[in-house]
Parts: sequence; C-alpha cells; structure tokens
Amino acid sequence: MNRRRKVEEQEARWQGLGVSDGVVVGRVLRVFSGVRQVYRATLDAKDVERETRRLRAAVRLARVQLLAIKARAEKELGADHAYIFDAHLLMLEDRKLLEDVEKYIRDECANAEWAVKVAADRLLAIYAEIKDDYLRERGSDIEDVTQRLLVALSGESLPGYRKLTEDAVIVAEDLLPSAVAELDFEHARAIATDAGGWTSHTAIIARGLRIPAIVGLRDLHRKARTGDRVIVDAQQGTVILHPSSSTLAYYKSLTAKAAQTRYATTDDGSQPLRTLDGKEIILRANVELPAEFEDVRRFGARGIGLYRSEFLLAYKGVMPSEDEQCRAYIEVAELAGEEGATVRLFDLGGDKMGGAPETERNPALGLRAIRFSLMHEDVLRTQARAILRAAAHGRLDIVLPMISDVMDVRRARRIINEERARLESEGQKIGAIRIGAMIEVPSAVVTADKVASEVDFFSLGTNDLVQYLLAVDRGNEGVADWFRSLHPAVLQSISRTLDAARRAFIPAIICGEMASTPAYAVVLIGLGATELSMTAASIPRVRRAIAAIKFADAQAIAHECLECETADDVEELVRVRFSENWAQLFPPKSLPARRVAE
Amino acid sequence: MIERRVMITNRLGLHARAAALLVRTANNYQSALRLERADRTAAADAKSILSVLMLAASRGTELLVTADGVDESAAMNALCGLFASGFGESER
Repeated sequence: MNRRRKVEEQEARWQGLGVSDGVVVGRVLRVFSGVRQVYRATLDAKDVERETRRLRAAVRLARVQLLAIKARAEKELGADHAYIFDAHLLMLEDRKLLEDVEKYIRDECANAEWAVKVAADRLLAIYAEIKDDYLRERGSDIEDVTQRLLVALSGESLPGYRKLTEDAVIVAEDLLPSAVAELDFEHARAIATDAGGWTSHTAIIARGLRIPAIVGLRDLHRKARTGDRVIVDAQQGTVILHPSSSTLAYYKSLTAKAAQTRYATTDDGSQPLRTLDGKEIILRANVELPAEFEDVRRFGARGIGLYRSEFLLAYKGVMPSEDEQCRAYIEVAELAGEEGATVRLFDLGGDKMGGAPETERNPALGLRAIRFSLMHEDVLRTQARAILRAAAHGRLDIVLPMISDVMDVRRARRIINEERARLESEGQKIGAIRIGAMIEVPSAVVTADKVASEVDFFSLGTNDLVQYLLAVDRGNEGVADWFRSLHPAVLQSISRTLDAARRAFIPAIICGEMASTPAYAVVLIGLGATELSMTAASIPRVRRAIAAIKFADAQAIAHECLECETADDVEELVRVRFSENWAQLFPPKSLPARRVAE
Repeated sequence: MIERRVMITNRLGLHARAAALLVRTANNYQSALRLERADRTAAADAKSILSVLMLAASRGTELLVTADGVDESAAMNALCGLFASGFGESER
C-alpha cells in the first residue's frame, strides 16, 4: 500500500510493555478491533438514496471479507468450526435486517451507521428475551456482524488473509478474543497493540504462539499504515516504525543471531529440576489453544497445570456437548501423560463471553466462572460428567475458578458428586479426580485455611488475584501503573495462601503469568511455592533460572520483600538483591524496570 | 400452498449450524417458506436466519412448515429432508 512512498518517512519509536519475548523485523498489518462509536447524523432527503447505496456497497464488501474468512476457517479449523461464519454471512444478507436498516434510513433520514446500530440494537433486545442460553448468546454473532458492517461503512478494511505476507506484524488497538479465530497466526510474526497489559488476552495468546508482543503502545495503531516497515523489540518493549537503514541493519543482525539459539534450550527437560541446594521444583504447562499442545512435551512440562476449558467454547461458538467435551479432555489427559492435567471449569462471563447478552456493568465482579456455573447448573453438570468420564482414560483433576469462600466449594462439590453417582448408576466408566480451588479472590485468601480443609489442592491464579486485590482492571491502560504484581499485598496474599495449603497438607500450584517471568518465579519459590504452571514456551528460561539459584537465597530475599511497604520498594529490592546474588543470571533488563516519572 | 408437520430431532435443535443449513437450502427456492411452532407461539421466515433463530426451536419442538409458490413441493421435500436427517449432526 504505502510501500512506494516517495518521501522517506522519519524513524519513530514507541515504548510499551514487552509481554512476549522476541525481536522481529516486518511490515505492519493494521487490524481493526475495538468497538466502534456510532453517531447520529440527519441527511437531506435527497441524500437518502445515496446513503442506501452506500449501505449496500458496505454489505457487499463485508460479504467478500466473510467469504474469505469462511474459506480460510474451513481450511485451517475444519468445516465443524467454519459454520459460524456461514451463519454470519446469512445474518449479513438477512432480508429482515437489511429491510429494517434501509427503512430506518428512509423514514428517519438517518446515516447508515446509525440505522445499522438501531436495527441491531432492536434485534439484540429481542434475542435477550429468548429463554434459551445458547440462542441468547447468538446476540454476540449479531454484534460481530454489525461491527463488521460498520467497519465496511467507514471505508477502512479488515485485513484479507491473502494479504498476510510472511513478515506481517499485527498492529491493533486491542485484540478481542473473537479476533483470535480470524488472525492468520501461521504468518503473524509479532503483535503490537495500543491497549492491554501483561495479562491481557493479546499477551497470553502471543506467549502461547511464541511470537513477540508489545502492548500499551497508546497510538501506534493510528499512526501506522499497513505495509509500513516496523521493528518489534519485545525485549526492550520498543516498536520502531520506518526504521532508518542503520537501525534496520542492527536489528537484522540481531534476529539472525537469535534464530540460531531459538530452540537450543529444549533438551534438559527429562531431569527433575532442583535448585542448587536441592529443593525440587515442578514446572507444569498452562494450555488453552491446540496450537500449544505440542509445546507441552517439547519444553519438558511435568503435565498440564492449567487447562483453560472455556476455549472449547470459543472455538466451537456453541456450548460443546458432553461427548465433545469428553473427547477434548481425553486428548488433554493423553497429552499430559502420567503427570496428569488440571482442568479449570469454564471461566465464563465477564470479558471471556465477549458480547454477553445481558451486559453487566461490572463483569469482572459479576456472574462469571464458578458463579456462572452454579447459576447454570446444566453447564456445570455436563462439564463435570465429561471430565469424570474422561478421567477413566487418564489422570485429570478439576479446579474451581474464582472461589469466594468454602460455600462455593461445597455447592460445586455437591453437584459434581451427584453426577458421579449418576454416572456410576448408569454403569459408565469414570476415573478418580481431585477437586481443587483457584485462589484468586481476596476473600478466599483471607479464609484460605477454611477453603484448604475442603479441597484437595490450591491453584493460585495470580493474574486475577492482582486485579482483585489491588482493584485494578488489567485491561485498562489508564491504571497500568497500579497493576503491580510485586506489590507487598500480593506477595503477602500468596505467602498466606501457600502457608494455609501447607498446614492442611495439600499441594498448591501457582499458575498465573507471574510464574513465567524468571525473576518473579524465583520470588515465588522463595515464598514457598514448589509447583509453578506457565506457558510451555516459558519453561526453559524459568528452569534455567531456578537450576542456578539456591532456595535459601530466594527465601531470604522473599522474606525481605514481604516486609516492604510499597511495590516500588519490592522492585528496587529485587533489582538490588538479584544483581548482588546472580548478576550473570539476571541482567538488568530481566528485572522489573525502574519506573521513571514521565 | 402445502403444509407439513416436522419434529426437530437433532440434539442442538435449530442452532446456528442447523439454522444456517436450513436458510441456505430455503434460499435455493422461489416459494415463500414459513416455519411455525406447532403451538402457534412463534413463526419465522425460513429464508431469514435471524427470524429462524428466534423460533428458539430446541430438540423435540414440533414445527409446521408451509411452502407457497411455483417450486413448493421441491422446497418442502428439501426442508423436510433436513429435519429428517437431523441436519447431518453426527451426534443425535
């Protein structure tokens, strides 16, 4: 597009947060993702015809895009998954929708964007009334289609997949979960988004796919154009647009070197991991996308510490049946081998549902995770049955997400036990499972002793714990300065939870994103963690760090951290102590960056 | 105009995939095709997916299919064939 600009563009740099390591030199592919603001405009009567034609052209454009997406989805995901785009196509072409929109344009002399929004909102209101969970959710498909139509009306284009060149760097405002199905990850080399934090969806996906990602870039999406040359240096958190020839030469030599060492560190996974003073640490894998499955073995994970089951739903677009779920869980169990896999029950609601039918004002604090499953008992029962049946084929455990207190555990356990009894009476083969609690809500931390007495293990979700404990929305760039994983309150909560598990003689595993950063992992071990679960690709570097330290040193530093007053103090302490003890192992850029007032 | 009664037998009912298949098929014919719940609580234009989904027709729902037009019997056979085959869902 802009590849043949006559005037050489000036090199420009953005500083963000590198959330998935790596350096890539490539070309920008702008992806539209955020929710579009729509305004009402009143047309002169003479312009109404033109507006209708503009609408029809937009429908045609959106149609071409959807056809391409559908063809690609059929090829990459199989026809079973592609049908949802067929439904989108039919919605786009739906006479009822188009007639409503055109009528509104004519009757109200409204602009097409506004008419699309009004018609869609009316439909959504009708769908919200339907007494069928699945169909009510189809509202999100309607939103998806209308968003696409609004983008087409704006004249911006969504990327066609054939345009995805070998070196595409995805540049977006934010990546919504629904965008996952659309991106050509095969060719995407890096991701750079304006919004997002360390634990945003973008970050998690990028780490899963082992491509570099930088988030929190403020206005890169607005300034970059598709085809612009760009460098993504996730180590430094830097994005360089229109790099000068000397910058380019420097980075090309850097990436050539990196390519040689990329997979050089995958060999030592067979030996148990011990610190220098002999403390055994177990590293397991967090898994959500099938693309990550092969990594579990490759990087030597000791089983799967966290399987995020809601991705079954994201892929299928509908609630998968008991048999479908059972098959998926068997696959996960086989993948995990004798070390077993922990299936987290659907963490639905809030951001994960994308376009939730009844919009909650505060979804993070709303009906989600175990609360959602307890309110939709059939969902919980189906999932429990599928896991119990799959456990007959391999070792599986269940972890209950977002437990507030022991009451949630009791209610879920009662339902799971009922289904166990029912399966037994039906003569189905089932396996023994353990039931654990995700500790991520502050009330569960405070009452951890009580919860520990009624579960088989703890699983600490540090992403949500930080968010809830510090009351910071992790997707809100405006409060990114308050999202501090190394806040003393976070460390004390983790320490307290680990202590409660120890007193109850149950295992505890930490499976938030903190565990995948070597420096943080060392602090966690110092706090008493012996099991960590992380994106498989992070295992080698975390293993390297742990194998080279003494537990006693980590413990001393962690205890000092617990005494700190502020997150700044903790980070400074980590910088100082880590460089004193392990200067070779932890170069400054691997430690928390010093915060400079802007 | 012809009319026939069908029962939804596939597990998921008239959900997105089945509805898409139904609407695609319906649009191959010129006749007006209508679906109505046998309890007369809701009716839909079989050529509009938004309308078909709003029937909220789950497994076990009885529907009245009406076809009116030059190719009504062919259209009727095609639609009823879909219902009878459970929309090709492997899992009933």
